[in-house]
Amino acid sequence: MNKPLSIILFTLISLLFIVLQTTLLSPRKVGYVFPDLNLILIVFLGVYSETRGSLVLATGNGYLMDVLSGNLPGTFTISRLSAYLLVRTSSNHVYLKKWLVQGLVIFLATIFSWTFIISIFRIRQDTYFTLTLSEVMTQAVVNTIVGIPLFWVIAKLHAKLQK
Amino acid sequence: MGFLKRRTILITLILFFAAIQLFSLYQQDKNTNNPLSRLVLALTYYPQKFVSASTNKVVSVWYRYLDLVRLKEDNLRLQEEINELRQERFELSEAEAQNKRLKKLLDFKDRSSYPVVSANVIGASPSILRSQVVIVDKGAGSGVTRGMPVASYDGIVGRILVSADKSSEVLLITDPVSAVDAYVHRTRARGIVKGTGSGCIMQYIEKKSDISIGDKVISSGKDGFFPKGVIIGTVIDIEADGSFITATVSPHVDLNSLEEVVIILKNVDSVVLNE
Repeated sequence: MNKPLSIILFTLISLLFIVLQTTLLSPRKVGYVFPDLNLILIVFLGVYSETRGSLVLATGNGYLMDVLSGNLPGTFTISRLSAYLLVRTSSNHVYLKKWLVQGLVIFLATIFSWTFIISIFRIRQDTYFTLTLSEVMTQAVVNTIVGIPLFWVIAKLHAKLQK
Repeated sequence: MGFLKRRTILITLILFFAAIQLFSLYQQDKNTNNPLSRLVLALTYYPQKFVSASTNKVVSVWYRYLDLVRLKEDNLRLQEEINELRQERFELSEAEAQNKRLKKLLDFKDRSSYPVVSANVIGASPSILRSQVVIVDKGAGSGVTRGMPVASYDGIVGRILVSADKSSEVLLITDPVSAVDAYVHRTRARGIVKGTGSGCIMQYIEKKSDISIGDKVISSGKDGFFPKGVIIGTVIDIEADGSFITATVSPHVDLNSLEEVVIILKNVDSVVLNE
């Protein structure tokens, strides 16, 4: 992961995913049934990559979401960083490189990420942002379905660079 | 010689028919309608007819096949032409629609008492947490700053939330954080138009106010953000809310298919409230 090529690859993928998510796959265009590519990439970093560089990338991805979601400072940065750390820690105890387990991890990471954000808003008694359970579950399912093949593709690219 | 012995009957028959033929030729001038000729003709009629008809059929099928090949080629060529024409027609209608929108935007520019800059919507929020945000292709480099109102030729769109050098984020009026001071155009009943995530509601309208479904809601200009008199939407539902009335307002601008907007270069910091 500390190899410069890997960092460049993941930076480019991050940019590509965020551009896709703000244009073709924006919830304004496709409703709330859309894949959160940004979160999928963060989970991938947690599963496959070494710590230092991916930690920065996960934070950067969260920050991108913060800025582009109407400037919500820290909301996504912290929640996605937490999701990354959780996956990273889990990978030390559970073998996460099987596609079925990866699907489960994406599903749980999505639920964790939104639970984290909703909890912050509840604590702050901020009633502006509300999300229903069905919206969260739908996104978790969509992320899982899209995430598994995406993991395979990114893993292939990553492996090619590692050679 | 062995061949002649073995095929005696056949040779005899051939000679016989040859003799008949010669005889017929000889007799031609004398009598063209002799029974033998008629017999021969009658005997050969059906086989000839059969062979001729079959040959014609085969030839006609072949020609048809050739025609079909040609037709197929023509069909493909015509299909391509139709597709090209359809594409051209689509592009023309797109250009016409864009032209109309831009003309309306120009009208809006002419009517506006503030300088305006037109912008294209290039993106939107990547999250469902705050989906009522769009990104436009004009920023601080074009004089756009935070808080500036954004409109389209149809009415109010929102206001600038963050402005970078070349792009800005626009908070739409349908976002729950958004609030616009407004009044009902017909009766001047005042209230605050707030976003609900998917639409708008007008809150804090005094109970004695005259408001009915179909009324147009316009900006009052008293919030310091939006200029006075820009249309926000139409009242589609009214309900009593304690000592106030709350009206559901359908935004005049179709925010889901927003393509071009104008940013009103009204410096919010220098605005005197209650203008």
